[in-house]
Amino acid sequence: MNIIELENVYKNYETHGNIIPALRGVNLQIAKGEFAALAGPSGSGKTTLLNIIGGLDQPTSGSVTVGNTRLNQLSKKAISDLRLRKIGFVFQAYNLIPVLTAIENVEYVLLLQGINKKDRLTRSKDVLREVGLEKEMYRPPHELSGGQQQRVAVARAIVSSPDIVLADEPTANLDQKTGAHLLAMMRELNLREHITFLFSTHDPMVMEHSKRLINLIDGRIVSDEIHSKP
Amino acid sequence: MWASIKIFAMIGWRNLWRNKRRSLVVITSMALGIFAMLLSMGIMNGMNNQMVENTISTSLGHISIQRKGFQNDMKLQNSFVPSKELKNILSDIHDLKAFTPRIKMDGMIRSSEASRGVLIMGIDPVHEKTVSKILEYTLGEAAGSYLTDSEASDILISKTLADKLDLLVGDKVVLMFQNLQKEIVGTALTVKGLYQSPIDSFDKYVVYTGLQNLQKLTGMGTKISEISIRVTHRKQVDKVVEELRNSIHEPLFTILSWKEMAPNLFRAVTIFDTMMYIFFAIIFTTVVFSIANTLIMAIMERFHEIGVMKSIGTSPNRIGAMVLFEAMNLGIVGLVAGIGVSVLIIALLAYTGIDLSFYMESMRTLGTGHIIYPALKSKDIIASTFIVLTTTLLAALYPAVKAARIKPLEALHHI
Repeated sequence: MNIIELENVYKNYETHGNIIPALRGVNLQIAKGEFAALAGPSGSGKTTLLNIIGGLDQPTSGSVTVGNTRLNQLSKKAISDLRLRKIGFVFQAYNLIPVLTAIENVEYVLLLQGINKKDRLTRSKDVLREVGLEKEMYRPPHELSGGQQQRVAVARAIVSSPDIVLADEPTANLDQKTGAHLLAMMRELNLREHITFLFSTHDPMVMEHSKRLINLIDGRIVSDEIHSKP
Repeated sequence: MWASIKIFAMIGWRNLWRNKRRSLVVITSMALGIFAMLLSMGIMNGMNNQMVENTISTSLGHISIQRKGFQNDMKLQNSFVPSKELKNILSDIHDLKAFTPRIKMDGMIRSSEASRGVLIMGIDPVHEKTVSKILEYTLGEAAGSYLTDSEASDILISKTLADKLDLLVGDKVVLMFQNLQKEIVGTALTVKGLYQSPIDSFDKYVVYTGLQNLQKLTGMGTKISEISIRVTHRKQVDKVVEELRNSIHEPLFTILSWKEMAPNLFRAVTIFDTMMYIFFAIIFTTVVFSIANTLIMAIMERFHEIGVMKSIGTSPNRIGAMVLFEAMNLGIVGLVAGIGVSVLIIALLAYTGIDLSFYMESMRTLGTGHIIYPALKSKDIIASTFIVLTTTLLAALYPAVKAARIKPLEALHHI
């Protein structure tokens, strides 16, 4: 069953009267539970594609379906709600809310979903334990290392058991050891929780760990490979 | 819902202290604005209070029982004999502190130097001091003394009038007036003492003599012009008036509160009160811009962060609510600081008073007395709370809408 479906998606940006194409007729299907990566050089359109799938950006033309919902027809509020309930985001720059502690950052998503306090705390603590941050739960982001902040971001992305986690260059600001640890952790969550992971990356380690590698050049998918090794 | 409000209130609170100096500048300016306004209100309340209290304590009384028509036409024919039954009714009313009979009539005072038109008050010296403050206003020692005998041919005049007529204690004056038969009569009286009240116009115009002396001179017998009443507290006036109107069934009488006897004074006090609130609101509209500016700066600084919040599913309404909470936090802290400082300082000034001796003449014209005791009313605090929170909320509306409309993708690219 496909959880993401893109049909003939185009995205053009207009700058000073010039039209710059970012995506040129992308067709893509991602099945539930995949651990896939979008790769390609800078400007190839991978972040744009991720943003369109996440409802942060709209395609110029073409159809985008996430779960059973066609994004093209949704209002801003409905897209916001979809992001809250179905999609988890992991950003390159961690992007935690600086005035909240690690556990509050994780709890925040559940709170927006209207989960009761007891469940919120239990789930937030569990997920922080899973990413190895049980001792850092009550620390604000500025007291955490880059790797720890990114683990909090992953915990925030998965705490509500979303269908999809979209991760934009998640290892770009991490050293190799921390990046590898983070990837292993996400793979484990993928296998255990059946959460679909889609990365945009040009980190060879991410490409190596992913089970499907989709290569983009100049806004077009030029290759789509399944990695068979476990 | 409650949890959601709690988290946005908490985020708003923590955001407030991310730039302590900027927030403290705004909070200080709000607190100073509130203090300035509450102090002005307190002084105005004090002046209004003292103006009303002084007028009541000199000539007006809290309540007056008169014959109908006397209020508009102060002639002797509009007088009455106070019955024993009337006095019994007055003695039985719980919140009624004291009452005294008076004659009030127009006349003329003449010395060897000059003459003046005056209001002649015939008073019972013993009872009068329980209703008015004329005994307290009588100057001691060389300035003579208060009236002691209701039948004596003595007169108590103000120091101002004595200076104008070139009179000293012990001097003789001639008092001229119309008697009950509408004949002009004159009588020689001895200046028994001098007084000085806080009201300049009162001092220039009012003289006192004994009630029985005046009744004899005018041929009024036992008739009087009014019974002036003092109640336990000014707040009780309306209640006592109501009780009196229910108890006294004589159709010739009218029972008037001080507000009905001095409607212009009452209106002036009400207008002063309203003006202060308008003034307060105007001052705080200037604070609106300072708060709005602070919030816009805070939002621009957190543009990227708001983008993150939106991208993980925070709705525009919730982003707007967060900014409003931040503004309300700012408003509440400023309000608490402002009211706290104001209450302390105004309480101290209410105890010591503010001496405005160098404006003494102006203060006497206003009738307030030269030492003002500021008074803060709970309605002033409620009104300032309402004005501050409303202006804060108004100031935050534009920044809140701006934050709610931030496009997440644009904000995520913003560094």
